[in-house]
Amino acid sequence: METLQYWIQGFSVATLPINLLFALIGCVLGTLIGVLPGLGPAAGTAILIPITFSLEPISAIIMLAAIYYGAMYGGTITSVLVTVPGEAASVITCFDGYQMAKQGRAGPALGIAAIGSFIGGTFATFALMVVALPLASFALSFGPPEVFALLVVGLSLVTGLAGKSLLAALIMTFFGLLLAMIGMDPVRGAPRFTLGIQDLYDGVGFVPVVMGLFGVGEILLSMEQPVLEIIKTKLTDLLPNRKEWRVSIGAIGRGTVIGFFLGLIPGIGAIIPTFMAYVVEKRVSKHPEKFGTGVIEGVASPETANNAYANAAMVPLLTLGIPGSPTLAVLMGAFIIHGLTPGPFLFKERPDVVWGLIASLYMGNVILLILNLPLVGVWAKLLEIRYQYLYPGILLFCILGAYSLNQSVFDVLLMVLFGGLGYIFRKIDWPLAPTILALILGPMMERSLRTSLEMSGGDLGIFFQRPISAVLLILGAIIMITSAVRLLPLWARKEAAN
Amino acid sequence: MKKPWQIATLAFLALSIFVLIHSFTYPYKDRLGPGPGFFPFWMSIITGLLSLGLFLQLTFAKSENGESKSFLPNREGAIRIIFILASLGFVLVFLNPLGFRLSLLLFLFFLPLALGVRNWVVLPIVAVAGSFGVFHVFYYWLKLPLPIGILGI
Repeated sequence: METLQYWIQGFSVATLPINLLFALIGCVLGTLIGVLPGLGPAAGTAILIPITFSLEPISAIIMLAAIYYGAMYGGTITSVLVTVPGEAASVITCFDGYQMAKQGRAGPALGIAAIGSFIGGTFATFALMVVALPLASFALSFGPPEVFALLVVGLSLVTGLAGKSLLAALIMTFFGLLLAMIGMDPVRGAPRFTLGIQDLYDGVGFVPVVMGLFGVGEILLSMEQPVLEIIKTKLTDLLPNRKEWRVSIGAIGRGTVIGFFLGLIPGIGAIIPTFMAYVVEKRVSKHPEKFGTGVIEGVASPETANNAYANAAMVPLLTLGIPGSPTLAVLMGAFIIHGLTPGPFLFKERPDVVWGLIASLYMGNVILLILNLPLVGVWAKLLEIRYQYLYPGILLFCILGAYSLNQSVFDVLLMVLFGGLGYIFRKIDWPLAPTILALILGPMMERSLRTSLEMSGGDLGIFFQRPISAVLLILGAIIMITSAVRLLPLWARKEAAN
Repeated sequence: MKKPWQIATLAFLALSIFVLIHSFTYPYKDRLGPGPGFFPFWMSIITGLLSLGLFLQLTFAKSENGESKSFLPNREGAIRIIFILASLGFVLVFLNPLGFRLSLLLFLFFLPLALGVRNWVVLPIVAVAGSFGVFHVFYYWLKLPLPIGILGI
């Protein structure tokens, strides 16, 4: 009954005209971010945070969340039309989506992606509504040791699943934690590692870092090979034919289930659900050999999984305060900027924000469906903008976003420096996601570790005397060991080849 | 990519040593428990060990067959990257003295020009719309404080 009241409250907030308007604006901007090469969802969301400064927190969060899931769909358009995924989760869509476009069937490919995204996203949102309250109530019993252990699990998942080398991923995680230590000590409030620079007293802002690593870094890399070849195709028939519908229904169902359950695991990222959905679809298909040649199931299932994941990933963010991806980490940062801390307490303190946001996900899914089917042609046109105009334009918004956060040129300098680092790390293939997550979670991790040790008088045994933190830490260790084992055959194969 | 990886690990090793030395300037422990130096001390030790571990692993691993992927971009790519970095450097230096509108006007005019645009109609329109237009939207409509330069623009 209590849950039902919250649902009603959420819908009454989300359906306010002003919030619907911001959800619409967020969906448009998100799709734009997804479509434009050189601007991933994390950097795109970070750039747009300053726009929300003058808004009410709930409207701001609704808009930024809409940008997040709008970008998830936007990436599909470039995957199908230029075989360049707008964001990493759409990589798999290139396989069959691009082939369909080459055969003149880009319309049905984009159409089924929009419909599948709608179904997957809507189901995941409903499930989020059901599980959010019990999970948040459970998390309310967490003390500092449990919070620390939970953060260890979250970072272990992000680190363990990132990149080719576990050691490199771990170094990137600890790099994020080192960056997080700059500024005020989160427990005693004394300045640390500021090197006498006044601008560093508030710490290294995550917005310039995200925009640098993901925005400027990506543009610098794109500058090596900037020209995209766009397929000229008819976009008139967006709806699939009857035969395509028949095969797509099952694919959408399977994609929904896979995307939702994997979205619940913090740190898994959007790539794994989409790949898994594709692999499962290939396994159950009567003609697996045709995958990669332009079959509609190869688009329907991963795209559905992508959006189901995007909505389900809100569960760990909202209930536990653990962002599962860089984009969600940016969203979490936006919460904090607006004076809200995601996690179980938010359900008690600001139920209007939490349930309003959850209800807005439904609205957003409907808006995306309405927006994307008729406007696919418009989005495709955007791909024809010359990179010589596009990249300076993106950089303009990066400068604007970095500057306006604190009205500081120093933040622009940080963005440029991290842009250089982002370029280097992309070139050498070191993962960036763990750095961002560690930067955001670092202060919380240090605070919970030190408070736990204060509670126990310096005894590390406190983490193993409390059942939840003990189980979580063992889980973290298992994740690290399995990640090391997973990477071991790669190393062994390489050795054998040599 | 063996050499760039080794350089990266050495850079992180140097960073961790710097943080470790710096962490000694903060109390490791205080009356209530772990002090401000506690977390940096352990984080720098772990980062250093990980960096050293990866460096040794790379150094003693046999080099991959057919390793040919170059770290450096080709000449044209490098020139474009230099143009981008130089124009960002220009904005960094002149954003406050010239103001948002003027510095971004120059940025949006000369960067596309350097990247090969020669359309003398579209280029100024994009530069003016991107600088003065964006300033108008963000400064007047969204109430974001943006720098106004010494010329009052």
